[in-house]
Amino acid sequence: MNIYAQDVSKTYMARGGSTFIALENFTHCFKSGQFTCILGPSGCGKSTMAQIVGGIEPADGGTVRIESSDGTPSGMKLGSASVMVWQNQNLFPWRTILENVTFGPEMAGMSRAEREEKASRLINSVGLRGFEKHYPTQLSGGMRQRAALARALMMDRPILLMDEPFGALDAQTKIVMQEELLRIFEETRKTVIFVTHSIDEAILLGDEVIVMTARPGRIKEVIPIDLPRPRSFDLVNTQEFGRLFDKAFHLIRDEVTKAMAEMNQVSHS
Amino acid sequence: MTQAIARSWPERVLPALSVIGFLVAWQLFVDIRQIPSIYLPSPIAIAKTLVTMTEDGTLVSNLSMTLLRIFAGFLIAAVGGIIVGLLMGMSRLFERVADPWIAALYPLPKISLIPLLVIWLGTGESYKIIISAITAFFPIAMSTYAGVRQVDPGLIKAARDLGASRSQVQLHVVLPASIPSIFSGLQLGMGVAIILVVAAEMIGSSGQGGMGYLLINAGQVLDTESVFASLVVLTLMGACIIKCQQWLERKLAPWAAI
Repeated sequence: MNIYAQDVSKTYMARGGSTFIALENFTHCFKSGQFTCILGPSGCGKSTMAQIVGGIEPADGGTVRIESSDGTPSGMKLGSASVMVWQNQNLFPWRTILENVTFGPEMAGMSRAEREEKASRLINSVGLRGFEKHYPTQLSGGMRQRAALARALMMDRPILLMDEPFGALDAQTKIVMQEELLRIFEETRKTVIFVTHSIDEAILLGDEVIVMTARPGRIKEVIPIDLPRPRSFDLVNTQEFGRLFDKAFHLIRDEVTKAMAEMNQVSHS
Repeated sequence: MTQAIARSWPERVLPALSVIGFLVAWQLFVDIRQIPSIYLPSPIAIAKTLVTMTEDGTLVSNLSMTLLRIFAGFLIAAVGGIIVGLLMGMSRLFERVADPWIAALYPLPKISLIPLLVIWLGTGESYKIIISAITAFFPIAMSTYAGVRQVDPGLIKAARDLGASRSQVQLHVVLPASIPSIFSGLQLGMGVAIILVVAAEMIGSSGQGGMGYLLINAGQVLDTESVFASLVVLTLMGACIIKCQQWLERKLAPWAAI
């Protein structure tokens, strides 16, 4: 499944009637089975883009089409081809981990035995065996994110959207989760759109990194990441990683400075 | 997870000691100053009265009358309040229609409806149950409504993303997410149901009994021991009801208590 986004724009209404452009003329083809990271300063519209692809937010302009790998229209509607993993997980607090993971199939009417068997396989594969009966508040942030990942994988959708999923985790947990995600990506080869503001995360995980400008959010540059897979965190010590990091860093430094200047303006006005 | 926090001995002993100390001081004060029991009976005299009331059956019959009325009123209020609260939260049209009614009736002291209800219904059972049901209805409906409105929109987005239909979102997300608010509404409702039943019994006719009747009757004949004994029973009854309710909530929604 390729995702073809053409001239996608989104404008938000701020309080007091003023508008700001979150996303402007975003044109990109997310290729099937590729891991694409969208990297940018806060407020650059990168989360908005993921939500538009997921059919969660409507775009104001432009189109997003889901095409088969050979470029013909797939006929799949936005939203039915993808599933989102959220930064704050959005697990249902009144459901146990098992009940959270089986939520989607339960809504779709899959039998309890079938969905629970499938869920227990996924719960094992994300390393949560033994926590099926726990409630989300009883787990750490990293474990909650594992559960959220299992819940998304349960949906068997070809496109996985991830909106800063490790943004709130501590540094060590984050590394472990990144390696887990690399492993799961190897196994499933889904089309992944991964939103992040962390440069090394984007390079470690992605096949390509889309660097965004600050408001309005536009594509500044697309950096191909030709690092071999399977990858592990050891990659960050290689020369090639360092070169890519420098490149991305110089692209994004100006944007972060711009975004910060704009924030100051907003807070002083 | 609830963790047993190790308490130091003053934390464990002092609460009980403060109650015992208070009772002893009270007893000594009454004995030494020789206060007539018509003004302030001693704790021992009150305890004796409680024993007599239990033995001759007045306590059991009146308490069970009161409890029945409380639960009848509360049940009506709970069913009505939860339904109206959910409808208000889930349907904009219903919210608009209900708004002027709620705005007008919510702040009205419900006790001021007693004269009207007595005219319409007399002083029998229905009046006591209805007045407590009306009073308990509002906090239950308002808490339920607030609970529905305050559901985390992220959870709704996530459920939609996972393929839930709009009606599935209402049933599987909005409803369970509102349960903590509904429970706090039920607790508030129970509190006012108790107040209104006892107040209504004080005004009701003599034939029907109840703790409120017992209390007002004892007051009128200056039987202060019985007044105090009734107050003790009412206090314990309220505490038991609220504790049972809290226990039930922890059983029914363990995730909310974590």
